[in-house]
Amino acid sequence: MAEGARGVGERGGGVDALEARVSVLFGDTVKAFHAFTDLQELAENLRILSLNAELVAGRAGDAGRAVRALTQYTRELVNRLAQAQTDCAAVMHDSYRFAAAGLRFIHELRLMERTVAALERQGRSLEAVSAAQAGLMASMEETVLGMVDSVEALAAQARAVESVVSASDSIATNIAIEASGAGRHEPEFRTVAQTMRDYVGQLRDMTATAGTAVRRAQDEGRAVAAACRRAHG
Amino acid sequence: MKGSTIYRDGDHRWLVFARDPDRPDNIIDTNQCVVCVGGQTMLLDPGGMELFPAMLAALTQEVPADSISHLFLSHQDPDVSSSLPLWRRMCGANLEVLVPWMWTGFISHFDRDARMVKIPDEGTTVRLGGVALQILPAHYLHSPGCYVVYDPKARVLFSGDIGAALVPPEEADSLFVDDFNRHVAYMEGFHRRWMGSPQARDAWIGMVSRLDIDIMAPQHGKLFRGEDVRRFLDWFGGLEVGAGIGAMRQG
Repeated sequence: MAEGARGVGERGGGVDALEARVSVLFGDTVKAFHAFTDLQELAENLRILSLNAELVAGRAGDAGRAVRALTQYTRELVNRLAQAQTDCAAVMHDSYRFAAAGLRFIHELRLMERTVAALERQGRSLEAVSAAQAGLMASMEETVLGMVDSVEALAAQARAVESVVSASDSIATNIAIEASGAGRHEPEFRTVAQTMRDYVGQLRDMTATAGTAVRRAQDEGRAVAAACRRAHG
Repeated sequence: MKGSTIYRDGDHRWLVFARDPDRPDNIIDTNQCVVCVGGQTMLLDPGGMELFPAMLAALTQEVPADSISHLFLSHQDPDVSSSLPLWRRMCGANLEVLVPWMWTGFISHFDRDARMVKIPDEGTTVRLGGVALQILPAHYLHSPGCYVVYDPKARVLFSGDIGAALVPPEEADSLFVDDFNRHVAYMEGFHRRWMGSPQARDAWIGMVSRLDIDIMAPQHGKLFRGEDVRRFLDWFGGLEVGAGIGAMRQG
C-alpha cells in the first residue's frame, strides 16, 4: 500500500477525509439529477404547446404551413427530452448503487483504520492489515470510477438536453418570424413563440445548473479515484 | 482486549479473547475462542464488526495473522458473524468459513464473497493441524440452526450461547466461574427466555454428557471448568425453557 487511507485526504483525516470527498462527489451528482427533476413536466408542456401551435397553424391555412412543419419537429425534440429523462433515471439508479457500495467500503476502511490504530498502540504494524486496506481501497477506486462513469453518462444527457434547447430556441425564433406574415393569426403565433422561449429559458437554466454540478462531480470523482489508486498502488 | 491461553499442549492451543476495555457499553460483551494447531488457526464466533479492531490487534499478538485458516460461526447473530467481511479481507480468499447450512443465505448479507462451507444438520468433523474438531448440533439452543465445537484432545467444548451469562463489570475480573451458585443469577434469565425447547435442551445435554469436558467456553460471560461443567448441565437440565409467550411473565 503506497500511502494508505491517510493519503486520500491530503490534509490528513484518513477515512473521514475520504468520506467527505465521496460525499461531495455524490452530493454534486444528486444536484445534477435534481436539476433535471422537472424535465418530464417541461417535455409535457412543450408537447402540449406544439399541439396547440399545430391547431393555430391549421387555422392559419397557408400562412401556417411553415409553423406546422416546425411543430412536428418540436414533437421530435419532445421525444428526445423524454428519452433523456428515462436515461437520467437509469443513471441515477446506478449512482445510488455505487454510493451504497462506497458507504460500505468506507465503513470497512474505518474499522481497518481503527485496527491500525490499535496495533500502533502496541507499537506494531501488520502486513495483512495493510494488504486488506489496499484491497478495500482498490474496491473503493472501482466504485468511485463507477460513479464517475455515471456522471459522464449524466453529462451526455446534459449535452442531449442542450441540443434540444438550441433547436427549440431556433424553432421559437422561426415561429416568431412566421408570425409577422400571419396576418390576423400573428398574436397567436407570437404567444406560441414566447411560450416556447420561456420553456427554452427553463431548459437552459436546468442544463446550466446540471452542467456545473456535473463538472464539479467529474473533477472530484477523478481526483478521488486517483487518490484511491495512489493509496493502494 | 486480552488473550488468555486456556489449554496448551505443544503447538496445540486454545485461547479466549474477552473483556475489551474499550468496548462501548451498548455493545454486548463477547468471548472469542481460538484454536491453533499445526500452523493453522480457527476462530470460533469471531465477533461483531465493532469488535474487529481490538480483536485483531489482540489475536495477532498471540498467533500469526497468516495462520488463520478457518472461521466457525455457531449461528447467525451479528455479534457472532458481522466481522466476517473484515476477516475475509485480511485473510484472503482461502479462508474457509464454516456456517450452519440454514444461515448461509442470511450471513451472505454480511459478506457475499466469503467462501462458506455449509455445516450439515448432523454436524461434521474438521481437521485442524493434526486435531479432529467435532462440530456438534445444538439446534434451537437458541438458534434453529446452531452448533458447538468439541476438541476431544484438549477436552474443551465451545458452547456458543449455551452457558452464556451477562456478568456485571464488577464481577468480570476472572475468566472462569468461581462461585457457580452466585453465577446462576447472571445466566438464568437469558436461558429461560432464549433457549428454544426442553426437548432440544435434553437432547443436547444427553449428547454432551457423554463427552469428556474439562472446560466449557460460552460466547458470553465466564467459562466453566472441572465440576462446574457438570453443575451447569444439571442446572440447565432442570430449568424451565421454551415457555413461549409465558416467558414474558418470567422477565
